[in-house]
Amino acid sequence: MEHQLETIGRNMFAIFGVMALCGAAFMVASKSAVHSVLGFLFAMLCVAGCFLSLDAEFLGMAQILVYAGGIVVLFLFVVMLVELSKFKEKGVFQLQTRSAVIAVIVGGVAFLAAFRNLLFGTASPEALVLRPELAQGLAVAQQNAQAVSRGLFSDFLLPFEILSVILLVALVGAVVLAKTERV
Amino acid sequence: MVNLNTVLLISSILFAIGIAGVLVRRNALVILMSIELMLNAANLNFIAFARHSGSVSGQAFALLVMGFAAAEVAVGLALVVALYRKRDTVQVDDINLLKG
Repeated sequence: MEHQLETIGRNMFAIFGVMALCGAAFMVASKSAVHSVLGFLFAMLCVAGCFLSLDAEFLGMAQILVYAGGIVVLFLFVVMLVELSKFKEKGVFQLQTRSAVIAVIVGGVAFLAAFRNLLFGTASPEALVLRPELAQGLAVAQQNAQAVSRGLFSDFLLPFEILSVILLVALVGAVVLAKTERV
Repeated sequence: MVNLNTVLLISSILFAIGIAGVLVRRNALVILMSIELMLNAANLNFIAFARHSGSVSGQAFALLVMGFAAAEVAVGLALVVALYRKRDTVQVDDINLLKG
């Protein structure tokens, strides 16, 4: 029992990753928009699990808050506002679906061929090691948040400020775009 | 222990699913969600490389990408709502104003 738990703990990332892929595939393939949103929610939660298993606790929690708490609700509201039932009969997929799928498959094969040595070569069994100085910083959630904030406010201060301006512009822009014609 | 290549493989497949969603679906909402999926795949790579190189810069940048994604989805959904008001559709192949 303990051994099994240990194995599960060691492969936590792969489990969450495969679940995220399943959620993403369900999102793309499902006919109903609400089902798509639910698949998206599942994929985002599993990606948050991936973040947690990579010792990025703060980002995992931020992922859950931002995506599951904010963006999915926003999507659901828009699905509610936009009446989708009248598009049912027109088909789910684009006309060029076959060529698009072929292009994606060819691209994936080309990617795998180009990075075959990198992904499955001799270097691949090397595990993702944590540097000791970082391991200390990432050990506890609070310390992870401290480490991230140190990076954010020292190396990435200017992008952080620019992002706040972008958020303000997006806020104003969304209101302007979505408001009705009569003011 | 997580292998770096496992992370890269999963994130590249996630990115490919996102591209397939953008190319294949007609519904503008699903296309926006696929774009979010691609941003998440990039975030996964950022975090994996941050862990691999032992610096937190990647995590800080992933946080910035997350905020950018939130801004982008707000504007995108506002566009979808405005489009629905004007043209009464959210199917991207009905929107052909620029078609010659």
